[in-house]
This record gives sequence, C-alpha cells and structure tokens, in this order.
Amino acid sequence: MKTVTIDPITRLEGHGKISIFLNDKGDVDNAYLQIPELRGFERFSQGRRAEDMPQITSRICGVCPVAHHFAATKALDAAFNVDPPSAAKKLRELMYMGYFIYDHILHFYYLGGPDFVVGPDAPPEKRNVIGVIEKAGVDIGKEVIKHRAYGQKITAILGGKATHPVCGLPGGVSKGLNKDEVKDIDTMVKSCINFAKFSLKLFDDIVLQNKNYVDIILSDPYQLATYNMGLVDKNNKANFYDGIIRVTDQNGDEKLKFEVNDYYKHIAERVEEWSYIKFPYLKAIGWNGFTDGKDSGIYRVGPLGRLNACEGMATTEANKEYKRFFETLGGKSVNSTLAFHWARLIELLYATERAQELIKDSEITSQKIRNPVGEPGEGMGVTEAARGTLIHHYKLTKDGLIDKANLIVATTNNSGAINMSIRDAARGVIKGGDVSNATLNMVEMAFRAYDPCFACATHSLPGGMPLEVKIYDNKRRLLKTLKQNL
Amino acid sequence: MKILVLGVGNLILRDDGVGVHVVNELKTQIQHPNIDLEEAITGGMNLLDLLLGYDKAIIIDAVKSDDSKNGEVKRIDIRDFNTMHSCNPHDVSLIEAIEMAKKLGEDRIPKEIIIIGIMMEKIPCEFGENLSENIAAAVPKAVRLTLDEIEKDIKISS
Repeated sequence: MKTVTIDPITRLEGHGKISIFLNDKGDVDNAYLQIPELRGFERFSQGRRAEDMPQITSRICGVCPVAHHFAATKALDAAFNVDPPSAAKKLRELMYMGYFIYDHILHFYYLGGPDFVVGPDAPPEKRNVIGVIEKAGVDIGKEVIKHRAYGQKITAILGGKATHPVCGLPGGVSKGLNKDEVKDIDTMVKSCINFAKFSLKLFDDIVLQNKNYVDIILSDPYQLATYNMGLVDKNNKANFYDGIIRVTDQNGDEKLKFEVNDYYKHIAERVEEWSYIKFPYLKAIGWNGFTDGKDSGIYRVGPLGRLNACEGMATTEANKEYKRFFETLGGKSVNSTLAFHWARLIELLYATERAQELIKDSEITSQKIRNPVGEPGEGMGVTEAARGTLIHHYKLTKDGLIDKANLIVATTNNSGAINMSIRDAARGVIKGGDVSNATLNMVEMAFRAYDPCFACATHSLPGGMPLEVKIYDNKRRLLKTLKQNL
Repeated sequence: MKILVLGVGNLILRDDGVGVHVVNELKTQIQHPNIDLEEAITGGMNLLDLLLGYDKAIIIDAVKSDDSKNGEVKRIDIRDFNTMHSCNPHDVSLIEAIEMAKKLGEDRIPKEIIIIGIMMEKIPCEFGENLSENIAAAVPKAVRLTLDEIEKDIKISS
C-alpha cells in the first residue's frame, strides 16, 4: 500500500495533515485528515471569573474571535438568567455583521477564491491572492482591501477593538453608538452592499460562465448528500447571531428543530482512534461510518449548510440570490462542496443588507444597553460562526466563577463531512498511483471550501516547507518526497 | 525614524506567547518617543496593518523550525524567509500580505522588517499561561537581540 501525505496544508494551515492511502492498483483506498485539537481548555477556564470568558475565548482562535466572543456572551446571558435589552441585541448583531463582512471577503478573495479566479490548474505559485489581483486587476484589489477594512472598522467601533472585542457583557454590551458613529457605519455599509453585489457578479462571470468550473462544481467527487444544520429565525430564515437550530434532510425538508439547550439530546460525538477531533452526528439517525445519505447522521454546517437548512434569507437582495442559487444548482439540497464559495457570497450580501437595516433602526443609538444580571447558574449560547454553528456551555459556581466549560466549534461539526470530501476528491483525481501537484490541489480544494478552522490560533512563523508530499511503497518505505512552496 | 517593536503571540497558549513576554520586558526598559512597543495576537493582513507607517519593524515571535534548538534566538531579515505563513488557517502570510500591498501601491510599508525569532520544535497546543523552561530562558536573549537591533538606528539612553 502506498501512503501519500500532504503536510502541512497550504493556505489553510493550522497543523492539519492529510494522509492518503493507496491500494495495490494505486487507487485511493482511504484518506484521513488529522487535526491536533487544542487541549486543556476546561482546566484552564476552571475558577476564572465568568465575565472574563468572552475575552478569553476570543483568544482561542485567531480566526473567529467575534463568534467566540458572542457565543460566550450569550452563554453568560443564559447562565446569569438575564435577557439583554433589545438595543443591546441589535448592537451585538450589527457588530456580528461587520465580522461576517470581513471574514467572508477574506475567504473568498484570499483563500478559496484563488482556486477559481486564477484556476484550479494554475501553478501553485500563482494560486494566491497576488494571482487574483493579477487576473482581476489592481483596482479590484484595492476594493477588496477597502471593504475588508470596513468590516473590521465596523467591528472595532462597536467592539472596542477589531480583532478581540471587549464589548460583550452578560445582560448587554458595554458601549452604545453615537450619531457620528452611526453616520460612519452607514456610509461603510452602503459601500459594502455594492461590493457584495459586485462579488456575486464576479463569481457569475468568472465561475458560473465557465463550463470547466461548473463541471468541476457538479462533478461526483465533490458531491456529499449529508444533512444540513444552521440557525434560523421564527420564519425559518437564516440568522447568524441568534435563533433556533434547524436540521434539514437531503431533500431540504425539516428533520429537527431545537433550542441550543437541547443540543446534547440531538447530537452525539463519535471518537476515532486516528483523530484528536471528534465526529458529531445526529442521534436520531445514528452513526453509519463515513457515509452520506439518509442513513448516516453526519451533517454539514457553514455557508452551504446554512443555506440548505433555512427557507430563505431575511433581506430582499440576498433572498433573490438565494433563490437563484437553488434554481441554478438543481433545487434542495445543494450537495456540491464547492458551492460553499457561492453560498458564502450570498451570505456576504445578506450581512451587508442586515447591517443596513440595523444601522437605520431608531433604537440603535439607545443608551439602554444593559440589564442587571440574576443569580449565577448554567447556560448555553449559540451563534453561527462564519464557518458554522458554534456553541459555548458554562456551569458557574455560586460565586460566579467557571466550574465547567465546554465548547463545540464549527469545524468539529463539519469534521465528518470534511473527511469524506477529502477522500472522495482523492478518489476522483488520483488513479493508478498518479499523484501530481495539480491533483493534490484538487484534494485541498475539497476541504478549503469549508474554510475550516483548525482550532489552533497560534501565530508563530513556521520556517518549514508549506507543502510536503510523501509517497511510500507498499512496505511503507519512502519512495519520494515532493515539496512545494507557495 | 520611527520603529515599531511588535511582540506576536497568544498569551493563553504557553510558549506561543513568548513574543508578548519579551515585549512586556522591553516596556520596562525603553521609553522613547520614536519607538512604539506593541503586542498582537494576529497574523497576515492584520499584522501588516499594524506595521504600516513605520520606517522599521521588529517582530518578536515564536518560529517553528525543525533544525534549530528549542529556545535558540535568531535574527532573521524578512527577505530571507522564502515562505512564511501566519499559522492561522484563515489568513494569508505576512509576506503575501506585503507583496499584495506593494502591488496595490501601498507606500507605508517599513523599509526594514526584522524578525527576532524564538525557535521551537513544536508550537504548543495546550492552554496555559506559563513558558516552558527553555523558552523562558530565551526571553533575556531575545530582549538583548532586540535592543541591539534598535540601537543600530536609535540610541536608547538608559
């Protein structure tokens, strides 16, 4: 048996490692993504002041600090038995839209986009944001930078700091908005709406009008018919900041709907000896190995999961795009892993439109932004991180210190699906032992679509090679090492 | 001449936070109107934003390396990194960010960017606030090397 190892993964680094096992014919037998999980969070949190959790957890992950910040804050609302004033909820949600704006722009143009905009067959050294700018033009590059910065600025105005917000408190937020800030945000949001529309048009022109790309999107190796999960409002429209967890089946019909507090009743976690990360599945369906279809409890979260799990977007233009998405890709559910990229841009448009609704809301300048807390107890909080459903669960002592803390992060929810997508993509592109750099990229594209966060937000500067491929013969002797720089 | 000294790292991930430990130590030794001492827990694009407008930037950070000793401290010119990734799965590397900024006509990128790297074989994946023995011992070395780097351009009277 041959073993192919992709380590570490370019562009989506963390410390992920892909191992592909070939059979005697040189075809793919199986593939595994290994992710070392950050350890010791529960012990680390124990005995700390509960109100510090929004700050501490926003440092867990350099990728989704705002999502952790508010999942933590909402868990504290519940643990202190307090409902924040409606103005505070709107301020939080507005800030959350700023986070989605910069996060989704970053992923599309810098990380996932290069595969399409520059092309999946382009040489690796061109498949990055520089390549995107060369193809799309310097003027568009400037627009990308500008609007990503707007998202960050909106977050910073509301959160105190762009990357690690300090505004979330149990029962509300620490800071309101004044009229000048409202004016600034309004101007930025207007511009972001146009940029989101432009991005969807760019996707249309470059990807959807290109038959080769559409063929790849619709090709078998990139299809996965799992269940889908996401937060929805009372009208079953997608919501990122708050709502009820909804799960739909392969036809887009509702399978489950539950409050975050019932999460443990519906979700179980499978442990595999080769992985640190757990594989959640729906209890009602059960674990059926790494398979998709109706009999497998594996589900997907994130942009595609959310669009499949809801019945539309709550804003006008985004909802039009939502309808076009399903019309173009053959109705519900859309199972193409690469459709995550398109779904992400539709969500970008929704985030900008929702931000406009919120900034124009007369209550947004209200100074009633906090309610007094009750007695400390236990609470769970859920948000949609840019890459999927995120849950924080705390148990407090009677003095308001952390007794127990547990987090279920987005990428964990997607772990079963990511693993299958890698395997299927590998099966589709590696035949007869032929493993070129281009085929490896096709495998990477499969999981890059999920925008996974490997929970490892260390910011060290690795000096090693960004991509290393090791090929072993059937006796596990190293035959060849391929190295690739970006 | 304006210099930024930036400690990069995550204080709740043990040795990963070493850059911030070094900058905190430097704060007790340096007070100069043309030297800013900052800390950051970020990479790529966000890191670049912090550097803009300075003539020189000194970044103190953990560097993962297979062929260096744990706790060794090295001065590395950013131009000598042929590849560098912010170890953040959702961002581009600082080098990519700089290249892109240049392409877009950004003229506030520091002329000189120096990394004071604290070498480690493995970046920790366990929560905690303390440095391991080898890495704690590297802090004074990194402080010294950073001071030397600053004094090439600005004399610090202390």
